[in-house]
Amino acid sequence: MRRGLIATAIAVLAFAVAGTAALAKTSGPAAPAQLAACTNVSLGVMAPLTGPAAFLGQEQLSWTRFAVTQYNRRSGTRFKVALGDSQLSASLARTVGRRFVANDDVMAVIGGSTSQSVISSAGLFERAGLASISGSATRIDLTNGQFSTFFRVIPHDAIQSPNIVNYVARNLRARQVVVLDSQDDYSVPLSQAVARGLRARNVEVDRESVAADETDFSSIVANVGDDVDVVVFATQTASAAQTLSNQLREQGKDAVVFGTDGAYSPTQYKPRLGYVSSFANDLRFLRSARATVRAYNRFSRNKAFGTFGPPSYMAAWVAMGAIQRACANDGEATRSEVTRQVRRTNTPSILGGRVRFTRRGDVRGAKFYIFRINNGNYRLVG
Amino acid sequence: MDWDKLVQLLVNGVTLGSVYALVALGFSMVYGILKLLNLAHGDILMVGAFIGWGVLGWLGGAQDPSVAVWILIVLMVLAAMAGCGVLGVAIERFAYRPLRRAPRIAPLISALGVSFFIQNSVLLLFGADFRSYDTFDLVDVEVGIEFGPLRVWVVRLVVIGAALAMMVALWLLVTRTKLGKAMRATAIDREAAAMMGIDVDKVIVKTFFIGSALAGAAGVLVGLVFGQINHFMGFGYGLKGFTAAVVGGIGSIPGAMFGGLFIGLAEALSVGYIEDFTRGRLGSAFSDLVVFLILVLFMLLRPQGIFGKPDVKKV
Repeated sequence: MRRGLIATAIAVLAFAVAGTAALAKTSGPAAPAQLAACTNVSLGVMAPLTGPAAFLGQEQLSWTRFAVTQYNRRSGTRFKVALGDSQLSASLARTVGRRFVANDDVMAVIGGSTSQSVISSAGLFERAGLASISGSATRIDLTNGQFSTFFRVIPHDAIQSPNIVNYVARNLRARQVVVLDSQDDYSVPLSQAVARGLRARNVEVDRESVAADETDFSSIVANVGDDVDVVVFATQTASAAQTLSNQLREQGKDAVVFGTDGAYSPTQYKPRLGYVSSFANDLRFLRSARATVRAYNRFSRNKAFGTFGPPSYMAAWVAMGAIQRACANDGEATRSEVTRQVRRTNTPSILGGRVRFTRRGDVRGAKFYIFRINNGNYRLVG
Repeated sequence: MDWDKLVQLLVNGVTLGSVYALVALGFSMVYGILKLLNLAHGDILMVGAFIGWGVLGWLGGAQDPSVAVWILIVLMVLAAMAGCGVLGVAIERFAYRPLRRAPRIAPLISALGVSFFIQNSVLLLFGADFRSYDTFDLVDVEVGIEFGPLRVWVVRLVVIGAALAMMVALWLLVTRTKLGKAMRATAIDREAAAMMGIDVDKVIVKTFFIGSALAGAAGVLVGLVFGQINHFMGFGYGLKGFTAAVVGGIGSIPGAMFGGLFIGLAEALSVGYIEDFTRGRLGSAFSDLVVFLILVLFMLLRPQGIFGKPDVKKV
């Protein structure tokens, strides 16, 4: 009986974890490109609103809502936000994607937030003619032509990995490096590219890997030799980078942690000495964005933010501009018309420069930024 | 053989194992008495971690605590134990007691629901950001014991010591007190215990209180040693604690202690050596594979666990 009960418990747990995956495997028919009245239009926000990466999704949601509020005030429009919680699960992202496709009010999607959520949902959006604009998915092959209605307002990892390699090899003059990934569609290819690049520069590289939800790195740190100069950590959670940094110190290791874009968070990743690469500049460092930062602080009642929110603001701004242009003639628009208008976007960005897309959906002229962190204070260094 | 690395991994494994053992004890106690797997147990740990964090902030924070550090840590642990004990009792009263006579799948589903409820309540109350104990500001990283190049931070020693002390206290409570005798009697045969004059409902409530209090203490210890807490952390610790309870022999208190240490050590050593043993074919990423492989092997070869007794059915 005990055996049966435990087996039942394992089955229930397995159901909880994988139930949505099973649902997601049956793909429904593609939705037709419908004609929507432009008076009742929503932006679908696909982000990890709960679960281990909720800090990221909540920041993106908050900035998207800020963008919608500002846009509606300036343009007299009545855009709304429809929520879809993808957590860090590809199968949940697919379920959310199907829901957005079936919702006639959704004319564009902001997200997915992570590369794996884009991989699992962008095909659905493409079949429905629905534009999706990500403010944080950086995997290179998302814009290799496989998803024609996918766009991103941030650069991809083909720019990030050489940046990190250059900085670690040239500026930090590292001879021994550990490259650590967190076993997901974002961090594995990025780590591989960084490791390849460093080896090409004659840097000795050791590869390690941890689960995405790991909270204890002490055993990984035991594997880090005393001669290691830098640990490059491709992660989507800033707190993980902080814990890794703490545990290196705890075990008396001198290696500094170099976090990738997911680690950017002045409130959560604040090592004594560390580095982080980010797909966007921190708005607080931009003189031109001071008014925006003040307005956001009023809007959010001084909610903390890093570099995840502002690109989502821009993604939402691009989407609303495209919908408004598509609606301009007769007050009605199809999703395909909106997608065409997104492709033609040419608008100033709060992050500096303008947002214009390449044929494949990448933003033109985007670059990665490298920050040095001293006792929790961030400074742009590259 | 790199002995420093081995000793470091053993220290890491025992630290992690102490936490798993505290969680496994809660699973085992509740299972022993109610034959119920309290799947919300990991989330009670998470609530304990947040209570500890709240007390830390209330007493000035890690940078400027208003009381001595050891008093602060004791207060954090006691507050978390009290808060989580009460939470455990409330869960038993409202989510499990009404289902005591229902088919066994019903309380399991209810437990899963309670788990999601607690997780999302904390998300709503505290937001999604990770919270930091900033333990490095509280206790300097240099304070600890050094064996040659190896350094063991004092907080790890505190965590291991506190967990062992609580386990011994629980063992004494179960084996040497009237309440412990009542708990054992209820675990053996609830109806017979009631006929002998034991107030079974009270015993169940006290069992939930103690099991949940241990989880609350484990939450604070996790926060102290690993630094970061969030609303989702309970899931992983719950799963590993459950594995430890099964491996040790669910329902057995020494089994839970042993299972916790066993799983903690297996996890730490597999991270450290899996690459060497598989000649680079498997990396540290597969440490969970080792842990859950152990679970599967026990389910197949010794389902009663190391310290459990096999079910005997009279025919």
